Amino acid sequence: SITEACQAIQKLTRVRVVDNSALGNTPYHRPPKCIHVYNKSGVGKVGDKILLAIKGEKKKALIVGHKMPGPTMTPRFDSNNVVLIEDNGNPIGTRIKTPIPYILRKREGEFSKVLAIARNFV
Amino acid sequence: TLPQKFNIDFVVAMLRQENAKDICVIQIPPEIKYCDYFIIVSGSSTRHLHAMAHYMLKMYKHLKEKSDPYTQIEGKETDDWLCIDFGNIVVHFMLPETREVYELEKLWTLGAYDDQLAQITPEFLPEDFVFGLT
Repeated sequence: SITEACQAIQKLTRVRVVDNSALGNTPYHRPPKCIHVYNKSGVGKVGDKILLAIKGEKKKALIVGHKMPGPTMTPRFDSNNVVLIEDNGNPIGTRIKTPIPYILRKREGEFSKVLAIARNFV
Repeated sequence: TLPQKFNIDFVVAMLRQENAKDICVIQIPPEIKYCDYFIIVSGSSTRHLHAMAHYMLKMYKHLKEKSDPYTQIEGKETDDWLCIDFGNIVVHFMLPETREVYELEKLWTLGAYDDQLAQITPEFLPEDFVFGLT
């Protein structure tokens, strides 16, 4: 059963890893799920860091798009997209095929690396 | 807008002064509304990268006017990849090994014909996929 999009990304949401890292692309019988959102409220929007449980391991990740409609004139994606990141902020994958929103540039945080490996911008 | 003196020539001159290796400046077409110039620099060690990044930031702060936004160094906790985003110029400081892993020059110059992008296996939806609630 699949529930409709309610509050962007919170604990136990299934996410889609969009970079070309080995950890994100090898198939596993359980989808990667968010287990913690590094935010004051437990809801993650575009540009927030979250903790992901993938293949029995814990990995940090950055949210690059969610199903919930955000502020006007910002893109809304059909899947909750996420890019895997290490603890020091370096992305694990080397390319991102899906479009990345421009809002990441204005937000305070370390996003230049994720923008550098991205291909399309929205 | 950046101050008049802090433009691309000034940045490249400063990098040469700092003994940075493999200075790669890529001009980005205005259709990709990310920045105008993309610079990738290699350093000999972690301390070299940190020193270059901090020197850049100091010169920017010295030359900028009050209306320009402040920039921060991203990647301070890492030891192989730092970057600074100056609005229309983005500078990446990497170690040579990191540079080979990511191959940013190939991505930004080749565009859609990049070989790493082609190696990503395309995902296919199953035939009986229905978008929305079942």
